[in-house]
Formats: sequence, C-alpha cells, structure tokens
Amino acid sequence: MHNPAASRHRSRFRAPVALAVVATFALAACSNSSASGGGKYGFKEAKQSSSAQITVWIDSTRQPAADAYKKANPNDPVKVVTYDGEANGSGSFKTKMNLYDKAGSGWPDVVFSSQNNDASWASQGTNGAQAYAAVLNKGLVPDNTLSGWSKGSLDACTVNGQVYCLRNDLAQDVLWYNKTLMDQFGYTVPKTWEDYQALGDKVAQDHPGYIIGAVGDTFAEEIYMWSSQCQANDVTGARAITINTSSTGCTQMAGLLDKEIANKSITTDSVFTPEFVKAYTGKVLMMPGPAWYAGAIFDNKTSLNVPAGQIGVAAPPSWGTNAPVTGDVGGGTWFISSHSKNLALATKFAEFVTTDDAYQVDQAPGYPAYASAGQKWIAKQQSSGYYATDLSAITTAGGEVWSGWGAPTFSQEAIWAKTMTPVITSGGSIASNLGKWQTAIADQAKVDGYTVSTK
Amino acid sequence: MTTLHEVAADPGLPGRPPRRRPSGSHVAGALFVAPYAVFLLVFGAAPTCYALYLAFTKSGQGFAGISNFSHVIGDFRFGPAVAHVSLYLLSWVIALVVLVVVLAIMVHSVGMRWLSGSLRFVYYLPGALAGASAVLLWLFVLDPSAGPAGPLLRALGYHTFSQTIHPTHLPYIFAIISFWTGAGGWILVMFGALNNISPDIIEAARIDGASRFQIAWRIQLPSLRKWIAYMVVLSLAAGTQLFVEPTLLSQASQSIVPNDYSINQLAYQYAFNLNDFNGSAAIAVLLLVVALALSALFVWRGGLFTTEER
Amino acid sequence: MTTVRRRGAARRQDASPGPQGLRVGSLTGWSGRTVTGAILLVFVVFFIVPLIWLLLAMTKSGGALVRQGPFSFGSWHDLVANWDQLTSFQDHAIGQWLFNSAFYSVAALVLTLVISIPAGYAMALTKFKGRRTLLVITLVVMLIPNTALVLPLFLEMNAVGLVNTALAVVLPYSFYPFGVYLAYIYFSSSIPGSLLEAARIDGAGELQVFVRIALPLAMPIIALVGFFNFVQNWNNYFLPFVMLPSSGKYPVQVGLSTLLSSTTAFNPSAAGSGSIELPTLALATVVSVLPVLIIFLFSQRFLVAGLTAGGTKG
Repeated sequence: MHNPAASRHRSRFRAPVALAVVATFALAACSNSSASGGGKYGFKEAKQSSSAQITVWIDSTRQPAADAYKKANPNDPVKVVTYDGEANGSGSFKTKMNLYDKAGSGWPDVVFSSQNNDASWASQGTNGAQAYAAVLNKGLVPDNTLSGWSKGSLDACTVNGQVYCLRNDLAQDVLWYNKTLMDQFGYTVPKTWEDYQALGDKVAQDHPGYIIGAVGDTFAEEIYMWSSQCQANDVTGARAITINTSSTGCTQMAGLLDKEIANKSITTDSVFTPEFVKAYTGKVLMMPGPAWYAGAIFDNKTSLNVPAGQIGVAAPPSWGTNAPVTGDVGGGTWFISSHSKNLALATKFAEFVTTDDAYQVDQAPGYPAYASAGQKWIAKQQSSGYYATDLSAITTAGGEVWSGWGAPTFSQEAIWAKTMTPVITSGGSIASNLGKWQTAIADQAKVDGYTVSTK
Repeated sequence: MTTLHEVAADPGLPGRPPRRRPSGSHVAGALFVAPYAVFLLVFGAAPTCYALYLAFTKSGQGFAGISNFSHVIGDFRFGPAVAHVSLYLLSWVIALVVLVVVLAIMVHSVGMRWLSGSLRFVYYLPGALAGASAVLLWLFVLDPSAGPAGPLLRALGYHTFSQTIHPTHLPYIFAIISFWTGAGGWILVMFGALNNISPDIIEAARIDGASRFQIAWRIQLPSLRKWIAYMVVLSLAAGTQLFVEPTLLSQASQSIVPNDYSINQLAYQYAFNLNDFNGSAAIAVLLLVVALALSALFVWRGGLFTTEER
Repeated sequence: MTTVRRRGAARRQDASPGPQGLRVGSLTGWSGRTVTGAILLVFVVFFIVPLIWLLLAMTKSGGALVRQGPFSFGSWHDLVANWDQLTSFQDHAIGQWLFNSAFYSVAALVLTLVISIPAGYAMALTKFKGRRTLLVITLVVMLIPNTALVLPLFLEMNAVGLVNTALAVVLPYSFYPFGVYLAYIYFSSSIPGSLLEAARIDGAGELQVFVRIALPLAMPIIALVGFFNFVQNWNNYFLPFVMLPSSGKYPVQVGLSTLLSSTTAFNPSAAGSGSIELPTLALATVVSVLPVLIIFLFSQRFLVAGLTAGGTKG
C-alpha cells in the first residue's frame, strides 16, 4: 500500500543528494580547467564569435579537402590560403607563427602541415606567448571522435598526454611492386632486405633499366633508414636525442643502397621529377615507399600512370629474421589555433577534413588515419580493381612503424636534403658519409636546444 | 655627376663678394629638412641603436657582453654562410668590374647613336626584374628540360635541375643572377662617365698613334676609377645582404638549398625559428658594421662625394 | 673643319704603320670591330634571351613548354588558360597582391617625394645648423642597403603595433637618403643662387621661393627620384616578407613565392588541383614586373640619356 509518509521522506532525501552530485561535477570541471591553464578546453581562449570568418592554411595538395568542405558547407565563412605546407621541413609554419606571436595577432585558425613533428614546438609557448596549438583532447574535439583514430596515429600529435593536432593520413612504408613484371621475369617478392638486395643484383644483370627503388627524394631516409632501425633520430626526452649513424641499422642499409645505386637498380632521381617519369615509366619493378605512393605515383596520370591490375602491395622487408618494422613518410597533421575567434567552426573544419568520407574516402591520395575512413578507403581502393593484390599489407604495416625514430622540433628531411641528397645525386657513397650525416643532425639538434648523446 | 659637381663648386666670377644668404632661411631650411630628419632618426638611427642594444643584451638578463656574438659565430651554420656569401661576392664583383668596364668601353666605341642607345637599353632592361621575379626567371633558365639554355646545360653535363643547382654551383649562379639584373645600370653610369672625357684628349692620343686598346687602358680606364670604386662598394654592401635568391631556391629545390644558406637567412632563422632576437641582432650588427665600414671608407677616401664649402 | 681634320687623322692612322711599340694589341680595323661586335652580341643574347623566352613561355601549356622549342609561340588559347589558372589561384590572390604592390609603392613614392625633395633643396640652397652633419650622415647611410635593418625595424614596428599593416612597409620605404642626395646634387648645381636671391629680395617668403621657383625647375629630379624609389619599392622582398606575414597583405613579389611553392615542377609534393604549372608561373612573373617594365619602356629615352646626360659638357 502507498505510504505517504515514507514517500515524502524519500523525496526530501533526493534533493540534497542531487545537489551534492551536481556540486561535485561542477567542482571537478572547475578544477580541471584551472589545472591546465584556464579555459574550458585546457587553454586560454580568445573572445569567441560564432560568425567570425576562419582562415585555413593548406598546401595545394589539400585543395580538394577545402573544396569538399566548401561544397558541403557553402555558407560557412572559410578563407583558404595556400602555403608550402612545410614541404621538406622548410620551417615556414613555425617561423610564421612566431611572427604572429610577436605581433600578437593574425594567426590562421586551422593549419595543415605535411610534416609530423610540428606538435613538438606548437605545443610550447615561447617567451611568454601562448602555445599556438589548441589542446584537442580536453573537450574541444569530443572523446568519441578522437578515439576513432587508428591506434598510435595520434602519437606524433601527443605531448605530455595532451593531443595538439589531428593526423591526416597514415604514411607507413610498404613494398609496392609490379606484379605483372615480377611474374613476367619470374621473381618472387622479397621478404627481407637481404633478398631485396639479391633481387637488385639480379635485375641489374638480367634487366638493366628496371629499378627496385628510388633514393633521390629528401624523405629517402624515412623509407630506408627508418625501416632499417637506424639510430639517427632516437628522441629520448623532451630535449634529448641519441644519434648514432654507425649503428648496424644505418651501416647495413647504407651498404645496400650504395651497392644497388652502383648497379643502377636503385635510381638517384626523385620520384617527382619529369626525368624519373620519362626514364622509368613501365620500368618500375618495385618501390618501397609510403601508402600515399598509391595516388601520388602509381595511379596518377601525370606520374608513372601504371595501368590497372599491375600494382600490388607486400609487407615491408626487414633484416634477417627480425620482427617486421617499417618507417613512415609524413602523414600530415591539422592544427587548430588556440587564438581562434571561432573555435567551433575551426573544429568543425578540422574534423571534416580528417574524418569525412567526402574527402578522406573519396579523394584522399593516402591511407586516412581516421580508422573507419581508413577501412573504407582500403575497401574502395580494392574494389576499384586497380590493384593486383589486396591491400591488407598496408593495414598491417600501420601497426609496425618503428618507435625508435622520433619527432624532434627540427626536420630530418631538411638535414638529409642539405647533407646527403647532394652526395647521392653526385654519385657519392652513403656509407662513407654517415659520419657527415651524424654531425649534421647533431649540430642542428644542438642549435635547437637538444642534448645529444651518441649511445 | 663629376661635371655637376665641378659646376657646383664654382665660386662664381672673381671680384664678386661671396654670396650671402638672409638669416630668414635658417628656420625655413630647418623646417624643410625636418621631416627627413625625423625619418632618418626613426628609420635609420633608432633601428641601429635598437639592434646594438639587442645585440649586447640577453632578453630578461640585461647586459650580456659579447656572448650573443660568440654564440652566433659559433653556430655551425655561420662559417658556411659567410663562405657562401664571400664566394658569391667575389665572383659577382669580379664579373662586374671586368665585364661592365669592357662592355661600357665597347658600347661607347660604337659609332651609330641608335645602335649605341639600343644596346644600352637592352643591357638595362633586365634591371626591371630585380628581386623575386629575376630569381624565378632564372629558375626556368636553369632547368635543362624546360628552359631556353637547355642544350647548353646538357652540353655541360647537367641533365636535371638538381644537378644544375648543386650546392657547389650556387655562389656562381647567384652571381650570374645579380650580374644579369644589375650590370645594365652600371654600364649606363660608366657610359656617362666616359662621355665626360674630353674628345680632344682622345683625338690627341689617336694622332699620336695609340691603338684603341691603349686608349682604353691609358685614358678611359683611369677616368672610370672612381665609378668602379663606387660600383664595388655598393655591390659589396648590397651583396652581403643576400636573402631573396637562396630563400626562393630553397623553396624550389626541396630544401637541398637550405633555409640558412646566407647570413641574412641565418639572422631570420634566429629571429623567427629559434626566437632569439638577440642573436639575430648580433648578426644584423655584424652585417651593418661591414656595410658601414665600406660606406665610410668610400665617403672619406673615395673623394667622389667631397662636401664642398657652401 | 674639325670633322674633316678628324677624318683625315683617322685615315692617316690607318694608313701609316706608326712608331713601333705603340701597336701592341691593336684593336683597330675590321678584326677589332669584329671582336667588339661579337662580344657585344654575346651579351645582347645573355641579357635579352631570358626575357624573350619568358614572354613566349607564358603562351604555352605545360606540356608544350617541354615539347616545343624555346622560341616558338604557343597559342592564345594556352595563354588564356594560364591566365585563368593564375587568377583562380587562391581566389584571385594575384589581383590582391598586385593592388598591394601598387598601393605600397605609390604611397611610399608620394611620401618619399614630399620628404626628400624639400630636404635636398634645403641642404643645397639654404643654410641651417647641422647642415653639414646631416649631409655627411646622409652620404654614409645612403650606401647601406635597405635590408640591413629589417629585423630591428620589425621589432620597432611591432612595438607600435604596426606589423601586418601597410604602414609597416610604406614608412620605411619613404626613408630614402639616396633620393635626398640626388636632389641635393641637382639643386646645388642646376639652380643658380642668384635666382632665389632675386626672389627673396622681391619679398617672397621661403616657401614661395621653393614652390614658385625651385620646384618647377626640379621636374627632372622629381621624376628621377620617383622612378628609382618606385622601382626599389616594387621589387623589395625582405622587408614585406617580414613585416606582412599574412597572405592577403603580400606585395606581388612575396606572393610569387607562394605561387612557387604550389608549382609542381619545383615543389613536387605540391601536386593537386590547386597546383600551378610552369607557364602559369612564367605568366605570374611577367605580371609581377609589368608596371616596372612598362615604365622602363616608356622612359627609356629619358633614362638611357638622363643617366648619361650628366656627363656631357657644354
């Protein structure tokens, strides 16, 4: 039977409990923000205006992403500015943001960088200025969105547990090969670097003019040296790095490259030059390289333009019986400005270009870092019938990126371009210049405030 | 300009009392010159003093002695940057001195006025493209597959752009670009100076049997000496500031030409990459000292700009 | 009479062998003229061929540039296509950049003339305390390149909050000691003090003397200083590169580097729908120097003669 006295008693109890719960949440929220520097997202926000225009900096390769956003959201006030995208570690992103820091205004709201080491400086404010990058995992980007990124893909964006950028694509290195040519010549796909070298020797003898790799690009070290576990970029702390280019990983790979360059089965041309396209269209037997070679080199009318049904993907080689590891070439990161006057729109844009199917699945040249988009991208590529094999090797390789190659504030690509590319293109030996490479990295690291050790 | 100067120095007919100016012009003169003086202070003196101040202090730590200078000079990129700029300057200035003088004398020896004028105009035209445009144009020219000098480059053994712009070639490439844009103006100036030489002197030499070469060597060249010195000083001062060419080439060469190739680029990197304005100011002061020394040397010893008594 | 004598003398020289030892390295006669002509021709090619190539390159498509000979004309259709690609880059950024260049250069030009011409006049034709010091300082400062003080200037501009505004470049451009010096030389040599003296005796104030007498006579130097200043402002790169970090404020010279970074041929990783082809970059280069080139072409008689006229006596 209904007991009026009892129910009244219970209801009197509920209110204070509810209040206490609310109070606890409020307190927790308050203490959270004060602990991470003010503001509800973990950084001090500028005065927000929901109608303020946002400025987005992209490189010309990301133009389709901006166009896709504008098509889907034609009424949003988005201004697109093109810059070099930090290509080859030019440093323009960092220097321009420092310029704006000094001036105290003018920062772009969203920036794309083709490098993946920018979070190391963008997360730090210098000389009293607030850090450029907005913290994303304290509420600005919902947790269930952030958790949708492939495992480990946001590591390059994470500093001290805070996420500062969104990864655009995974650029793990795999072994691309031309199945038609390989079958035609009767070769098997190498599983180890030793086999790779042996294959190169055979190709040089039996089919001169065909190549199994290219080292003319500034990211050659991210394909070959990283996969070889070369200890040239072992970031051990916030400002500590270990550099030892005479470690086995480096010397073994340098020897392999020198030998195969000498017998011309590996070319010293950059894969983006017209000379490469002219000399090697139809002559690329295989090419270790990142996932984005798919749309940038092979399935590209202005590049090799390999016909459908020829290109296959295999797991990246490793030395001997070592566990498979691979490298990574870029992968791009999207930053949101902590000074943005319209964080809502900036976040909406950044989320769209990294997760939305309209760009990442339908148009992206590389393997999206957002897991579900990545799966759909793989499925789309496989169902297109362009590839001769399935693309599972790409997915597997995603989890095999060697963690011994870090993301310091300076650019390894820029150092390789300045020091080693001239050596390579003028016919010099990589192995005998490893010391020169070591000194160049160490010098630059010291200039950037790193303590360098060699063991 | 020498002639203008001689005219300016003319004290007037003998016997006349020296010119007197009414005292009213003291105030007016000062007023006319005041805006310029203000600009000189704000955009000439103030940044110089500020640069000196920054170079000798450390942000937040007060006076720092020469530590900024030693830090900057000890940077592993400083030595190479100085070497790059020095090699560039050497090749550029030698090309200027030799070729501008030879071309000016040759153009001057051309009899037909329309031809002489056309030659001077053609040589001067590239001066319109100073700066980034000239560099872009030369990026095309240096590309063996797309540029107009393709056959020549391929004959030299360069089949790709990256072969042409190999780091060892860069100082000479920059010298060629600077020569291409700047030589024309100097040829015009030298031509004008050559016009100054009295035709009677040349006539007399010819009558004496001097060859054209001897006339050039014994008469024309010495009269150009001041202008050659002026050209050398200006070019040296300007060349130390090398920035546009390596910056654009860095963009175009996938960073094979680094963004700290020249001294000025290094100053920029210090300011905006390392956030070290004190180090950047130290580099700027070093460059400024070089430019000032050249300028002062020329003003006091060159004699071209003797301040006359008025 | 003189002419006849000259011709006679020349003929005599060609005919007689002359005293021995004075014919060393003779460059007279046809061989000398051939050598001279050859050298002059080589340099004509050196100076003019890149310009001709540039004008032809912008009329071709990317493929045609590599396939066709360097000195063939492309097609009007390709030129229009290149123009479309250039203007559609970043939403007509090239138009904004050209406008910026024009605005900065012209504004600075006006300011320069307003400041420099009276200053040169005052230093030449009036007397005031510190005149000699100012002259010496001007001489010394004038030989210092204008890029020498960009970085401390940036901090100075920053301190007054002018960075990323037009004033940050217009004001430094207007500090033009070379213009002051040119004006000083001109005024001290071309305007007789007696003229001004007479006007002053007639009761004219200093300002009237300047405006009514000196200024009308100063048109050539105003044109010369204006020309040099405009060209220098238009072609300046380092100063706006530092002072104007935002793309919308770039002058066209700095904008060219953005175009360069989006040109696939030079920055291969910039492949995409927003990328620029080589001929479009060539077109952008031409567009970026068009105003200065036009001024050069129109003032060629004045320039080529003017820079050398100072030398002719009598």
